[in-house]
Amino acid sequence: MKNGSLFFLGLVAALGISWLGIVVASNAQLGSLAGYYDDTDSATYPARPSGLAAQGALVYKDLGCASCHTQQVRRPGFGSDQDRGWGERQSVARDYIYQKSVQLGESRLGQDLTNLAGRKPSAPDQEDLMGLLYHGHGAMPSYAFLFETHKIQGEPSADALKLTGRQRPHAGFEVIPTERAKELVSYLLSLNTTYDYPEARPVADVKGEGEK
Amino acid sequence: MTFASTTSRADSADQTPADVSGRTPLLYLLGSSILWLVVSGLLTLITSIQLHTPQFLAECPVFSYGRTHAMAETSFIYGWLGNAGLGLAVWILARLSGEKLRGGNWVLVGGIFWNIAVLVAVCGLALGDLTSISMYQLPGYVQPLMIIAYGAIAVAGLLAWTGRRREMMYASQWYAIAALFLFPWLLSVAYIMLEVAPVRGVLQAIVGGWYAQGLWTLWIAPLALAAAYYVVPRLSGKVLPGYDTAALGFWTLLVVGGFTGARHLIGGPIPAWISSVAIVMTVTLTFHYIIVFLNLRPSLKGGSVSLSFVAIGLICYVAGGFVDALTSMRAYAAITQFTVYEEAQKQLALYGGASMMLFGALYFAVPRLKGSAWSSGALIKGQFVLSAVGILIVVLSLASAGLVQGNALANAKVNFSDISVQMKPYLLVASAGNLLLLTSSILLAVNFLKTTITCCCCTSDSTKKGAVTS
Repeated sequence: MKNGSLFFLGLVAALGISWLGIVVASNAQLGSLAGYYDDTDSATYPARPSGLAAQGALVYKDLGCASCHTQQVRRPGFGSDQDRGWGERQSVARDYIYQKSVQLGESRLGQDLTNLAGRKPSAPDQEDLMGLLYHGHGAMPSYAFLFETHKIQGEPSADALKLTGRQRPHAGFEVIPTERAKELVSYLLSLNTTYDYPEARPVADVKGEGEK
Repeated sequence: MTFASTTSRADSADQTPADVSGRTPLLYLLGSSILWLVVSGLLTLITSIQLHTPQFLAECPVFSYGRTHAMAETSFIYGWLGNAGLGLAVWILARLSGEKLRGGNWVLVGGIFWNIAVLVAVCGLALGDLTSISMYQLPGYVQPLMIIAYGAIAVAGLLAWTGRRREMMYASQWYAIAALFLFPWLLSVAYIMLEVAPVRGVLQAIVGGWYAQGLWTLWIAPLALAAAYYVVPRLSGKVLPGYDTAALGFWTLLVVGGFTGARHLIGGPIPAWISSVAIVMTVTLTFHYIIVFLNLRPSLKGGSVSLSFVAIGLICYVAGGFVDALTSMRAYAAITQFTVYEEAQKQLALYGGASMMLFGALYFAVPRLKGSAWSSGALIKGQFVLSAVGILIVVLSLASAGLVQGNALANAKVNFSDISVQMKPYLLVASAGNLLLLTSSILLAVNFLKTTITCCCCTSDSTKKGAVTS
């Protein structure tokens, strides 16, 4: 290689081609994806997150929850995503269009959370999630710094954790979640992909149902 | 194995004008890279312990697993690989130009600001400014500074390249120039598309995947290969075998590499063609790894510590390429995706491949830059053994843990909370491996300090003498 300018042109092309091929092409395909309007429900899906849940998404991001939890149910044929009850259908691009910062994640040291609030038969409620954050469970550490221990003044707080045994605070004290914990739990409770988009039904799946 | 040629006086006698003129800025870059290596080693050890003992440091938000993981990654990639790779690339370009290093002050100033930017980034991550995109854990506010500081360093490399005496270019020059020139564009595109005007929805993950892969194929791998392609022919004293094919290997990496990122998103909520393209391209890329192996195989015969480092780097680099190709296939990806197996692959490439090659070149460069031999041969030997054994342990134990995890995840009958129990023995071994890696980087840091502090005294002596005579 002798020609310096030709070499440079090659370098620019090498970067440019993959950018055009991957980034620009997928942007052209998905960039203008809109919500799906359902005539029978007279509503558009996915729903936009509430203010508190949007705040919670920031807490989720800043604690790095995505380093252990994914938010994507893979297509049928990829692992046991649906068998584990993480979602009844695969995730599709439309699920994420209103998320400011998408948290697909790349590690499943923890469970997938795509459809946490829509799980069947029983989805965790606020009390379960607060308890999980406070105590931790298995490979998940406790996030006790999201809680405060206060002296009870007057009426006990309605938010106070119901703790038993050794975890129980001294008499006259209570453990209550901080704002950040409330936001985070509100976000977790907003995670559901129960609405079935047309593109979320793969052809293979329909065939499978027919056979059964 | 002898370590003679790295510690001998002959090395320091092999000085060129480029070495003398580049001494301060380049030793600064190499020194700060070693410091970041120690920092990232410590942070990696913390995350490694947290994998089997989740409660470790959990009461401290700064060291929550997600944040520590991000800090370790950023200090390793942008602190260690960035500083060392840039310093060596500029040094190689200056040496091959046959002239003095021009713009050395730009390198020094750029290097200082680059390190400030990385430090701010790591502190920002500690306080929660995460991006949740792998290899792109840089808070938005440091990225413009990084691009500018990087430009200042790269200018010296480009000047050395345009001012070269011989028109013909060597393979190490292609790789060095490609890395120096392409990184700022890559980071700028990611900055605009993810921070300034973020793209919508899953496109963020696609852009993030494209950036992360580009960082490897257009920046880290070329920086490491520039170093290896420079060191191997010099130390083995032979023309590289099959050198005619090197250009093909170079262009394959650059053109094909950028398309391979989406293999990590396989099965996910993105158009299937993106990951299909990535699989095809990942397999095509093995062509590049074969050529690199053919070219650099004289390093396998050893002969000096630099060559031994490059040899291990070469084996890991090529093995990493083939493992990537294998695990991009759907049947394997369905098991290994989302497990610590991917962490093992990352360590194999970033530590086993790129870092080992950079260590080799570092041991080659420092005696020439400062004009005196390494202060301790025993420390060099210690670092070599500890890092080689350490990375082997880390990669094998994480890969085994990942396979256990992947197979358990794929079987819905296995209770989710049992999976971490099954992985625990392997993760304990991985922590031991990470401890070895941390120790090895401390040995390197001590040796570097011992060597350069005496050097600083002699330079200050000589400048004093100079001041007196003038």
